[in-house]
Amino acid sequence: MSMSKKYSFVLILLVLIFPAAISAQSIHIPPHEKVIFKNGLTVLLLEKHGVPIVNFAALVKTGAAADPVGEEGLASITAQLLRKGTQKRTAQQFAADADFTGGSVEADAGADFSTVQGEFLNKDLARGLELFSDALMHPVFPQAEVDKLLAQSLDGVRAAKDEARSVLGTYYDAYLFNGNGYGRTSDGDEISLTKIHRDTIVKFYETYFAPGNIILAVAGDFQTAEIKKKLEEVFGPWPSKPVTAVKIPILPPVKGKKLLLIDKPDATQTYFAIGNVETAAGDPDRVAIRLVNTVFGGSFTSMLNESLRVESGLTYGVVSAFDPRKAPGPFGIYSYTKTESTVQAIDMALQILQKLHKQGITAEQLASAKSYIKGQFPPSIETSKQLAQIIVVNEFYGLDDREINDLEARIDAVTPAIAQQVIQKHFPADNLVFTLIGKNSEISSAVQKYAEKQDARLISAPGFWPAPAQK
Amino acid sequence: MKKNWLQIAKLAMVCVACLSCVGTPAAAQQFPVTERTLKNGMKVLVQSDHSIPNVALYIFYRIGSRNERPGTTGLSHFFEHMMFNGAKKYGPGELDKVMEANGGSNNAYTSQNVTVYQDWFPRSAMPLIFDIEADRIQNLNFDPQKIESERGVVASERRSSVDNDNGGLLEEQLWATAFIAHPYQWPVIGWMSDIEHWTIDDLKHHFAMGYSPSNATMVVVGDVTPEEIFQLCEKTIEPIPSHAPPPPVTTLEPPQLGERRLVVHKPAELPLLMMAYHVPQTNHPDFYATNILRTILFQGESSRMYQRLVDKDQIALDVSSQVEPAFDPTLAIIVAQPKQAIDPEKCEKAIYEELDRVKLSTITDQELEKAKNIRLMEFYHQVRTINGRANTIGTYEVFSGDYKKLFDAAKNYAAVTKEDVQRVAKTYFGANNRTVASLLPENEEKSKQ
Repeated sequence: MSMSKKYSFVLILLVLIFPAAISAQSIHIPPHEKVIFKNGLTVLLLEKHGVPIVNFAALVKTGAAADPVGEEGLASITAQLLRKGTQKRTAQQFAADADFTGGSVEADAGADFSTVQGEFLNKDLARGLELFSDALMHPVFPQAEVDKLLAQSLDGVRAAKDEARSVLGTYYDAYLFNGNGYGRTSDGDEISLTKIHRDTIVKFYETYFAPGNIILAVAGDFQTAEIKKKLEEVFGPWPSKPVTAVKIPILPPVKGKKLLLIDKPDATQTYFAIGNVETAAGDPDRVAIRLVNTVFGGSFTSMLNESLRVESGLTYGVVSAFDPRKAPGPFGIYSYTKTESTVQAIDMALQILQKLHKQGITAEQLASAKSYIKGQFPPSIETSKQLAQIIVVNEFYGLDDREINDLEARIDAVTPAIAQQVIQKHFPADNLVFTLIGKNSEISSAVQKYAEKQDARLISAPGFWPAPAQK
Repeated sequence: MKKNWLQIAKLAMVCVACLSCVGTPAAAQQFPVTERTLKNGMKVLVQSDHSIPNVALYIFYRIGSRNERPGTTGLSHFFEHMMFNGAKKYGPGELDKVMEANGGSNNAYTSQNVTVYQDWFPRSAMPLIFDIEADRIQNLNFDPQKIESERGVVASERRSSVDNDNGGLLEEQLWATAFIAHPYQWPVIGWMSDIEHWTIDDLKHHFAMGYSPSNATMVVVGDVTPEEIFQLCEKTIEPIPSHAPPPPVTTLEPPQLGERRLVVHKPAELPLLMMAYHVPQTNHPDFYATNILRTILFQGESSRMYQRLVDKDQIALDVSSQVEPAFDPTLAIIVAQPKQAIDPEKCEKAIYEELDRVKLSTITDQELEKAKNIRLMEFYHQVRTINGRANTIGTYEVFSGDYKKLFDAAKNYAAVTKEDVQRVAKTYFGANNRTVASLLPENEEKSKQ
């Protein structure tokens, strides 16, 4: 039987791709080197010894934002197929070779970018590099593997809908952005996945997987000079080609209030998200936002958790989170409660949001958030895998090591007055988007009071929002 | 950001498995452990690592749902929640407030066997953490109001992890069917009606039964020295008197003499299949060979089950197996996610055929070597962080009886032969020893009629 625990924050929504990193004074990111190969490939090398593992993280600067309308999921499918057949190996041979080392090669795509990651023991470094580069440079996308993966992904979407908490974020983003920009699901849906074909996959790969469009970070147990030479040998001959950056639409926050109710007739809890469009990666206010959000809904003693969980017992988990990306991403309050207490819990969350605006946060709360973020930071740069991801993503968003090395100073510089400004500027007050997954027959009339505009769908209806156009 | 409970559960589940299998001498030397048993019987294990200025502290109590009775199932887990709701010095809500204000965070998990408390904090918070831990072990307060609000929290946790989670629901039914005598038959989180009816006296009784210092093991890993930890223990933990440990769990599950089957009908997009086989407890010698077998069958896309069900037959999205650390004979569980409209029995048949194949002829040398490499990588995944190491050392100490056994693991692992793997497949993975659980989508059944 599974273990349980004191609490959990709600789901996967919280994985901040953008490492809004805060450091203790003694914490610095280990020194690393940046090299740009003649073909345009950016290479970042970070030596870290102790554990005999080497991590590769390649970031392709194009993600699901480049999916053609109606073919959502294309970037993700393309990435996942990289290891499903190359010029040298069938999918089965690739899996056998990778598994034999105990290592892995994994790939996927988010909205802003695609990633290919590899992990190997240093004793298998040569073999690992060969496998990793084989997937990145020589995929052949066999028709049979394309068909297999598309069928699996289709059922994957259906399986996710069996568990409300795993699709709450997808519905919320889709409704928040009204199916545009970040509202287009990077995993695809039941309709879009049937529109994806091998030729569009090959075209996507050929258009965007070019050295000049890729940042490759390697971190772990190696000697820099040695690995640089090996990487030159392997990736140097990869021919360069021009790649046009994909424009990500900048969508304004939603005006007014709107509510989407997803009917899951067997649900005994209502899962809800409330918020609006918010900041982008690299926002100058990012440190202050993180501090205020820690107080509002980003820790166990947060205002939201104190109220919805600790004092009232309405839920096992509530959290608020920003998801800053290239363009402004979502901000949301995420939680769940039993069907009967739906209105009570949502009312309470809204009251806490109002309280934040009316009363702000105390000096004591701000000081606690500062200690908390500083104290919890070091374990987030402990492994070579974490470090590879951080440096590659920072490079992509145009950020640098000061994100880590200067952050204690940046935290200290946030005053109560700055916190107050950030609340007014970045936390929505009257303009709110609601997304609920629950038992429609028991909650629909009660939740009408939240928004003038109401929408409803059945969870088993294909797609998320809006309903995909049937062709 | 904190991990969700599923991730923690998985972490805890894998760690014994990989430790038992690898632990090369080189790896072991990287983290020498210093141990001391306090006068009250609590064992303390310390491992210094100054690479980051942080500390992970775990306290394992040897009490879990196996120590419960019908009527109060889930009490260990509920008690775990109450350990955060106020003691003498740090009242309700104060523990978390003071810990966060000093840069620390905490969590806990409960299993059938143990209840584990976790603190993660910067070195500077060390004295505070010991003060907090001593306070709640010694002087926990049972505030009737807190009990009621926490009851709501746990009910919400259950709704989330069982009622609204097809996997959680089916697994609960699986344990309840595979065990008819032993306490592993009830869920760690407890039946909903028990959650609704616990009393303050039940909690007090549970505290008195399970929370003697002598029933606990503390593991501290990070930017510390053993000397300073032992000094803090002498001041804060050692003076706390011990008492009798929980009564031994004497019930033995009788051998299963034939297949058991159960079906759950529920609105769902996809069916789900789980199969359970009784296997020995963690400290049994067959543990190593069973892990190798599971690795070859289930781990990675080149594994036999993935190749068969997902890649070749294309009847499943995913197939995996799990065994949790356990004091008593437990279950090896196989989970298959059939594709939409695929009859779970089709997956079942393919799984039996693959099991038969490992019983009929031995695995290859290449497969055996692959399994070792996979275990080695998993081992490094566990020990590459101070948090992973604290959990791993503690889990080994508690479930295998001695953390030092991790240094023998490489030897035990190397000793596993192809014939051993074949033998455990034949011994434990037979028809009479299995329980099969299927979740069938109600809507789909209706549409077929």
